[in-house]
Amino acid sequence: MPGIDMSLDNMFCSRCGDGFEPHEKIVNSNGELWHTQCFVCAQCFRPFPEGIFYEFEGRKYCEHDFHVLFAPCCGKCGEFVIGRVIKAMNANWHPRCFRCQMCDKELADLGFIRNQGRALCHECNAKAKAVDLGKYVCHKCHGLIDDKPLRFRGEVYHPYHFNCTACGVELNSDAREVRSRPGFAANEMNELYCLRCHDKMGIPICGACRRPIEERVVTALGKHWHVEHFVCAKCEKPFLGHRHYEKKGLAYCETHYHQLFGNLCFVCNQVIAGDVFTAMNKAWCVHHFACSVCDQKMNQKTKFYEFDLKPVCKKCYEKFPSELKRRLRKAHEQTPKKMPL
Amino acid sequence: MNQAPVSCIPASKMSKAKKVIDEAKEIQNPELDLADKSISSFDEMPGLFNMLNITRLTLSHNKIQVVPPGLANLVNLEILNFFNNQIEELPTSLSSMPKLRILNVGMNRLDCLPRGFGAFPVLEVLDLTYNNLNETTLPGNFFMMETLRALYLGDNDFEFLPPEVGQLKNLQILVLRENDLIELPKEVGDLNRLRELHIQGNRLTILPPEIGNLDLVSSKSVLKMENNPWVTPIADQLSLGVPHVMDYIRTETYRFLYNRHIAAKGPVPPKMNDKTRKLSRARQQS
Ligand SMILES: [Zn+2]
Ligand SMILES: [Zn+2]
Ligand SMILES: [Zn+2]
Ligand SMILES: [Zn+2]
Ligand SMILES: [Zn+2]
Ligand SMILES: [Zn+2]
Ligand SMILES: [Zn+2]
Ligand SMILES: [Zn+2]
Repeated sequence: MPGIDMSLDNMFCSRCGDGFEPHEKIVNSNGELWHTQCFVCAQCFRPFPEGIFYEFEGRKYCEHDFHVLFAPCCGKCGEFVIGRVIKAMNANWHPRCFRCQMCDKELADLGFIRNQGRALCHECNAKAKAVDLGKYVCHKCHGLIDDKPLRFRGEVYHPYHFNCTACGVELNSDAREVRSRPGFAANEMNELYCLRCHDKMGIPICGACRRPIEERVVTALGKHWHVEHFVCAKCEKPFLGHRHYEKKGLAYCETHYHQLFGNLCFVCNQVIAGDVFTAMNKAWCVHHFACSVCDQKMNQKTKFYEFDLKPVCKKCYEKFPSELKRRLRKAHEQTPKKMPL
Repeated sequence: MNQAPVSCIPASKMSKAKKVIDEAKEIQNPELDLADKSISSFDEMPGLFNMLNITRLTLSHNKIQVVPPGLANLVNLEILNFFNNQIEELPTSLSSMPKLRILNVGMNRLDCLPRGFGAFPVLEVLDLTYNNLNETTLPGNFFMMETLRALYLGDNDFEFLPPEVGQLKNLQILVLRENDLIELPKEVGDLNRLRELHIQGNRLTILPPEIGNLDLVSSKSVLKMENNPWVTPIADQLSLGVPHVMDYIRTETYRFLYNRHIAAKGPVPPKMNDKTRKLSRARQQS
């Protein structure tokens, strides 16, 4: 590149065609000669930074102008795309920048499908279409599932991709997923059984959600329940091991049982299973209907007195101080209601 | 509690209590009926404190004056009945009994309750009827008994009920019959499970409008409020029936009247109940 002062007469600048002065610096690039002031970008007429230039159709450009004029911009990151350009969706892209807009997979070598202005991979396109149709996409074949899907290990499938672990029959959507080692956390241990084989295995089915119970089983009201599905018929809160009260095939929490049916024994505060004694705004079980003073048991025939709405047997009432008996008698005469006195 | 209580076999008076205890021990009966056995001291019931299996102890109609702290040894006791004795003081240890659900100390001579009395872990029914208690003689933690569903304070000497009564969230029954109550705290209106309120025979003239929050007129509820010097509008409604009173105290008119009445601070009605002849007032000669 440095200047040469020999036979200047037949040397001419490749750009302007003039000769060179003696002692003038001459630029030599691949056998072509230039005045230093002529060895510049064809677009901006400035020297090439660090001597780097790009050639296109016989002209030389600085890096900047070459990109501006000829290199495409990436539709995602906005940088120039040098090297492989992906032309798609009416734009240019770095291969690493052209990705599925749902799963972010690179699409350059996989191909893509245009879906409502988005570039999607085949799988995501199928899913998006399924969602629009209110359907699922099979995790195995990526096809739409027209009938009921089979859920297995957290994904959905066409049931016909699987066979019953026990009898080998091709499955339908009634198939049951069974945790083959209860308590073992790994999802991969689950297996599929047809409904017939599943029922033969004796796995309890929840009376509320009709699904198998693989963890703790609550047995009540002649059925099995998931712990979290055995709930009060009124407030629908799960009992979670707390006491429940049964009435006409339904279970209730204490509060609502009491609210609805009201016969908790006044003494033991338990639901009265057998005969109920009701009197004075209260109820008693057979074991606990007794004189509130001496705790002696009473029955329907026992004569008793009322004291603060509690039963008092005749023997005990007679032991009351006379001044109290006088007050009680007076109060009783004043009350309009009938009392068992 | 499935076994039948031991029946009393006639025997010489001296050994009545001992006989019942021995028999209960023999058949492992967890319910001990010692009502009306002329017992005046726990000394007459040797070995009782070792009967750890018993769940009920009934000692009504005796002459017991002192309850020894050792009674709290009976950790399985659920029901303890001292009705009609001559007890003037209870030991604090009772409050630590882990299974005690029903405590009846009605018709005794209690002037006060021990400090820390409210510490019962599972007490459901507390009967203090016919003693000499009032608001100044309750221990500080009395209303901490959150498990309480019935509190019987009839025939005592309360003039005011502490507002802390509102903390008894499970209370279904509150009896204040024939005390000297001048007013009820509005916090009674917080007891939303209350279905029996007995306030008859006091010195009440007005009811806090908050009482209107309670359901005291359904078929499973009772409000007894006779024999109080009620202001005329309440007395008029009461003559028509309790539901009329409840409707009335829920009105704006009543709220206005109530506030005016409170501001005016009218004279306190005189005590209505003569208690001089109450048995609970009797005292041992010392
Ligand atoms: Zn340039
Ligand atoms: Zn890019
Ligand atoms: Zn499939
Ligand atoms: Zn099968
Ligand atoms: Zn379930
Ligand atoms: Zn409920
Ligand atoms: Zn009972
Ligand atoms: Zn009795």
